[in-house]
Amino acid sequence: MTSSVDRSLDDELQGIRQGIREGRFPARAFNDQQIYDLEQDRLFSRAWCFLAHESEIPAPGDYVTRYIGNNNIIVARTEHGDISANLNMCRHRGNMLCKSEMGNASHFRCSYHGWTYKNSGELIGVPYMKEGYEGRLKRKEWGLVNVRVDSYAGLVFGCLDPDAPSLEEYLGGFQFYLDFYLKQGGEGSEVHGPPDHWVAETDWKICAENFAGDGYHTPVAHQWGFNLGYFPSSGSTHSQGWAASIPGLGHGIGLGHSPNFPPFGGFPDDLAERMKASFTPEQVEVFSQVRTAVGTVFPNLSFLMQPFSLVPGESGVRFVTMRLYHPVGPGRMEMYSWCLVPKDASQEYKDEAYRAYTLAFGQAGTFEQDDFENWTKVTRAAGSTMVKNVDFPYIMGMESERDKDFPGPGHVVRPYVNDTNFRNLWSRWADYLVGEV
Amino acid sequence: MATTTQVDLETRMSLQDFLYREALALDERRFRDWLEYLADDIRYEVPVRVTREALADWELTPTSRIFDDTKATLEVRVQRLETDFAWAEQPPSRTRHFVTNVVVDPGDVENEYLVQSNCFIYRSRGDEPTPSFYSLFRKDTVRRTSTAPGWEIARRWAAFDQSLINAHNMSIFI
Repeated sequence: MTSSVDRSLDDELQGIRQGIREGRFPARAFNDQQIYDLEQDRLFSRAWCFLAHESEIPAPGDYVTRYIGNNNIIVARTEHGDISANLNMCRHRGNMLCKSEMGNASHFRCSYHGWTYKNSGELIGVPYMKEGYEGRLKRKEWGLVNVRVDSYAGLVFGCLDPDAPSLEEYLGGFQFYLDFYLKQGGEGSEVHGPPDHWVAETDWKICAENFAGDGYHTPVAHQWGFNLGYFPSSGSTHSQGWAASIPGLGHGIGLGHSPNFPPFGGFPDDLAERMKASFTPEQVEVFSQVRTAVGTVFPNLSFLMQPFSLVPGESGVRFVTMRLYHPVGPGRMEMYSWCLVPKDASQEYKDEAYRAYTLAFGQAGTFEQDDFENWTKVTRAAGSTMVKNVDFPYIMGMESERDKDFPGPGHVVRPYVNDTNFRNLWSRWADYLVGEV
Repeated sequence: MATTTQVDLETRMSLQDFLYREALALDERRFRDWLEYLADDIRYEVPVRVTREALADWELTPTSRIFDDTKATLEVRVQRLETDFAWAEQPPSRTRHFVTNVVVDPGDVENEYLVQSNCFIYRSRGDEPTPSFYSLFRKDTVRRTSTAPGWEIARRWAAFDQSLINAHNMSIFI
């Protein structure tokens, strides 16, 4: 029975794949047990998944615990200064080794039978080694289950598939755009502190899509912001800008442009100068024209950079948020949300940027609040029986010509209000789900 | 904190009554009235909690905040709720703030008191039969004023007892 169900799901996924090419995506994908299970098996176990920012674990011994799929992973800075990721499970009888979300430890000792590991995962201590195991246990063979890691500009990713291509290949040029978030100032970005962490009855994919450049929702979902005079763009100019995506890889970014918005506006002048000096001329040309940059690294890591003032009408600062959508069931997720600040900015600027983040996009953020209200309702509807065969339209920009003069990489189209990035995102998702990655 | 009370009964009763009326303003969605209970120089803070070992230096992060507001930003939040487009509160959350275990101590300056309390919030949304519950510990600084209601909150500091917060958004006040 199971295999016939699986086969019909595979057939259906081939249909979904074809639909994406034609500008359709099924509602049920946003709340479905079978699809959730398949995502665990075929997507999160094979893609490069975000684990941590290096600045969260700056010193030897620092660690955080995070997830890839449903696997709890210890991400630690070893005594040699490199980063090691291991499954948070003792190899003896499977107890959870580390029960806190962050801390500093050179070793982890299991609270069940006392097996002890270096934070790099090597087994170094076994009680009653001689009396119990009589010399038959080889420590080398029983280290923690290791996770392959690689990093880009402070972002640490893990991959459970030993045969997957390198992270560099996986990102495939999207780094050009990520630099705007990750290389703020002259010395790059760091987290302001530990992330907000909350649960939501929302499917992770809704967030991933929204942050892949949904400029379309802003004037309505966040209408109060326009109402109170928060935005440097108005409803009439809001559609201006670009949608850039890396074809075949799923990554996408929306670049909102406002006429008359000053280049690098919202950054302190000295910081903006250092950024311009460290970016390539092409990056400077692109970023100078961007008010809002909102992008998703496939599958579930997103960024937003936005100028924002605490009180409407004031000049404001640029804040950057980085968020991870951790699926914990069909239509259910945990949100991790950080604020990234420029390392070499003054403490005053960092705090100001963080307060802007808190008021706008933290858990109590005035923009965040409305997004999750909508997304929870989308998820709820997607689980209803009537929508099993209902598709949503993804046809914006189907005929858009590529903007050949744009200096950034990927497939770039205008305007900002566009579905092109989403078709690319769902097409990559479908590639993984049918097992063709 | 002192092990026994150093504050007279009348003051304690008055502060307790003040907190109850403040909670009532929130639960009745009289947000303009609620702002009147807050000092112009209020700092309104809700730190992020992280699950850590028992002996860790801190569990409430020194740097991360769920709310980090001044009177001006709280006014923006209220102004937002007064528009037709605050979708997070359309239809509005039905909240009930249960304020208990009120402990009053003298503050650092004259006419200010450190008022600690437990706050349990029941939140019901739409037709959802299952409400959300949030348990918090509050440390307020409350200042005596010459005008009604006789007190104002100079600082609200409130910490959730959950590290992973059971709410898709935090569109209510603590």
